[in-house]
Amino acid sequence: MSSLRPYLAAVRSTLTAALALENFASQVVERHNLPEVEAATSGEVLLNPLTISRNEKEQVLIEPSINSVRMSIRIKQQDDIERILCHKFTRFMMMRAENFVILRRKPVQGYDISFLITNFHSETMLKHKLVDFIIQFMEEVDKEISETRLSLNARARIVAESYLATFG
Amino acid sequence: MALLAPIILDNGTGYSKIGFAGNSDPSFVFPTAIATREQGATNTRGPAVPAKPGNLASKRGIEDLDFFIGDEAVANSKTYGLHYPIRHGLIDNWDHMERYWEQCIFKYLRAEPEDHYFLLTEPPLNPPENREMTAEIFFETFNIQGLYIAVQAVLALAASWTSKSAQARPGERTLTGTVIDSGDGVTHVIPVAEGYVIGSAIKHIPIAGRDISQFVLNLMRERGETTTIPPEDQLRVAGKVKEDYSYVCQDIVKEFRKYDEEPYKYFVRYDGEHSVTKRKYSVDVGYERFLAPEIFFNPEIYSSDFLTPLPEVVDGVIQQSPIDVRRGLYKNIVLSGGSTMFDHFGQRLKRDLKKLVDQRIEASEVSSKSAMRSTGVEVNVISHKRQRYAVWYGGALLASLPDFYSYCHTKAQYEEVGPSICRRYQIFGSATS
Amino acid sequence: MILLESHSVVIQNTLQERFNKPGSIDVQFVDFDGVRFRLSTPTSKEVIVLSMHMRCWEQLVKYGVDDVIKREYGSRVMAQPEAEYHVSIEYAIDSIPPAGEQRDELIKCASLLKRNALAAPFERAFATQKTLESSASTDLPGDLMEIRYRDEEAIYVQAANDRVTVVFSTIFKDETDRTFGKVFLQEFVDARRQNTAMQHAPQVLYSSRDPPLEIRNVPGLIRSDDVGYVTFVLFPQHFSSPDRMEATISHIQLFRDYLHYHIKCSKAYMHSRMRARVTEFLKVLNRAKMENREVERKTVSGRTLVHR
Repeated sequence: MSSLRPYLAAVRSTLTAALALENFASQVVERHNLPEVEAATSGEVLLNPLTISRNEKEQVLIEPSINSVRMSIRIKQQDDIERILCHKFTRFMMMRAENFVILRRKPVQGYDISFLITNFHSETMLKHKLVDFIIQFMEEVDKEISETRLSLNARARIVAESYLATFG
Repeated sequence: MALLAPIILDNGTGYSKIGFAGNSDPSFVFPTAIATREQGATNTRGPAVPAKPGNLASKRGIEDLDFFIGDEAVANSKTYGLHYPIRHGLIDNWDHMERYWEQCIFKYLRAEPEDHYFLLTEPPLNPPENREMTAEIFFETFNIQGLYIAVQAVLALAASWTSKSAQARPGERTLTGTVIDSGDGVTHVIPVAEGYVIGSAIKHIPIAGRDISQFVLNLMRERGETTTIPPEDQLRVAGKVKEDYSYVCQDIVKEFRKYDEEPYKYFVRYDGEHSVTKRKYSVDVGYERFLAPEIFFNPEIYSSDFLTPLPEVVDGVIQQSPIDVRRGLYKNIVLSGGSTMFDHFGQRLKRDLKKLVDQRIEASEVSSKSAMRSTGVEVNVISHKRQRYAVWYGGALLASLPDFYSYCHTKAQYEEVGPSICRRYQIFGSATS
Repeated sequence: MILLESHSVVIQNTLQERFNKPGSIDVQFVDFDGVRFRLSTPTSKEVIVLSMHMRCWEQLVKYGVDDVIKREYGSRVMAQPEAEYHVSIEYAIDSIPPAGEQRDELIKCASLLKRNALAAPFERAFATQKTLESSASTDLPGDLMEIRYRDEEAIYVQAANDRVTVVFSTIFKDETDRTFGKVFLQEFVDARRQNTAMQHAPQVLYSSRDPPLEIRNVPGLIRSDDVGYVTFVLFPQHFSSPDRMEATISHIQLFRDYLHYHIKCSKAYMHSRMRARVTEFLKVLNRAKMENREVERKTVSGRTLVHR
């Protein structure tokens, strides 16, 4: 558990640093302004991607560019149940990506959930609060999954006992 | 294995009608109400946050299984919090709705959802997000085989195929027409062209079943009939009088005269019994018999804010629709819902509407100096036996057609595409399609 | 609602209503496990016919369902069931007792038609156990009875001299269901061991993929990761008295439905948790939005004020 704090601290400072974004029109298509990290049309505006990993199962990939940052999270999943719960949860959230303006509708391959922050987001939203959101998400998603898992087990226990009790 | 009958769920603001395809009546009709242990029913905007995730209570147990729906919910409203998950036709609280469906299926219908196709209904102008959420629940929670979400007005049109006049012309199973859907809370007038709702022309009338009951009660109070009825039963008695004795007359003045000349012939007696003390009482039912539904045609007798008579609203709706479908809309005006069940309702509506249409035609003929002659516009109001649960019945009818299955979104498709699959809406069942 | 009920609400409601107020009906409906029912008045309003179709009827006939039905419904059973149905029961209005306890009893019995039919093999197994026990000499188990009550799932019932074994083959079509199902089944297995109050409950065993010994020789068993086998070992105490036997049969029949019902309830619960959590996240994210955003101002009549 002790490694969680430094892990999140590293994510926080990296992300804050990466969020130095500026408005940058596409160099390839006239009058287009695309998140360069997604379009990947001009190599010189992409910065080096960075992986922060707590262990094999928990990693964060941050891909900065001149006008956008893409951040992907691999969420801890210890077994089948957590894998399903995690999948369900991230899917549920991505279904509602419309409301989560910075959420990507599909995760980057190999990760469970991805966010895409563009300069337009960082102009209309407070940068440190955006980072807060991501960090809080990372903290709570693990908690949520393990809690759901516990409650699932508890339910199963009650269900089984209620059923078997009827045989008295 | 022979496919099991699809399940039809028609969840309305007031009542849910649920049952199996192929039947002529829903198996269950009960209030769309859920009684839960949660406190603080006041905030129904947005999803109610269930006992803060993470606290001990929610970890320990299965409190979320402790709830009642339908009539049982109303009966248990003293010890539980009563909620209505649907507001103005739209689902407002998804948590409650999901559990409501859960019990509908497992306790009442006793069906394994994995074995069935489902037909759900939606109000006109339902946001596509709602369809997605509905699909998410039905495919992910219940693992159903296939889903079809139909617009209520379109089902009401389909239900009218059973009427005598439509059966006389079996070739013309049309999905074009104007639906007048009047339930307990609100009345809608919805134009539908070839299975698609013309959203911009829909009109709502704030007069429906509840108002008629209230109006009956007011009339009876004025005549001093209600003194014998215990106060808590008054509205119920008024509702009963409305359902059992009311009808639409063709001319109010004549009708009043008829009643005054021969009161013994037209006044009827309603006998009631106090629900608790069993004390008997009886009241005379008089003019309210024909005045009650009259509020549709002369709203000024009841309300002071809404004054447009129903025929004028219908005419307005059709006039706002694209010109090339208006003939079809006039020709096929379909009634649906309990508050359209009054005797002669259809005839009166047709007469009044025809008058409006003919006046307009005449005026245009005059202004064109009679150079143009109109061939006239056919106005038809269709009443049929299944009117009360027309939407449900239309669903049951469509779902029993063999090609229903090919129009459903299946579980496999859902898994392939995701909930957005339900944004696409496919009409079927019309002979023209 | 934690436990599922055994009776059909549709039958109960319809009969109650029609006995009070006869009228023509014709409704078709279902029960769990693909059982189809029809309630109709084919000849006159005075005679209500309740018919049932069960997928495993042929097998049930072998295990003596006809006797059970005869016993429960007596002369009301029609000699020739309606076409497409396996059993039909006739209720002539004039033969119905007046409203009261007796009539309620009759309606209750009618609404338990599916339960009663599916009880046949269990009753036979319990009887066999009694005879095996008294003969005491042989250790041979009784016949293995197979009830294919669903397309891909079956119940196997076998009596031995000191027990009756009931095996359910289960299959989960959905991956989430499979994972959740395993959690639930594991708890069924552990419940007895971990809770001393559960000592009287039947023993439960669960194996995925490989069928348990009792049914290993049954032809046509599917072996795949989707398939699991749940074994209930019922001891004589579970069916010693008629009341207890009745309760045991009612509950064990609904095991699969119970399991699936709760898997679905858990998913619904999970959904409501996720909804709550997502709204919470959304609140956090919205805090990041700049606060000085122009608030839409409205006049009394609902028109919006716009800056020019």
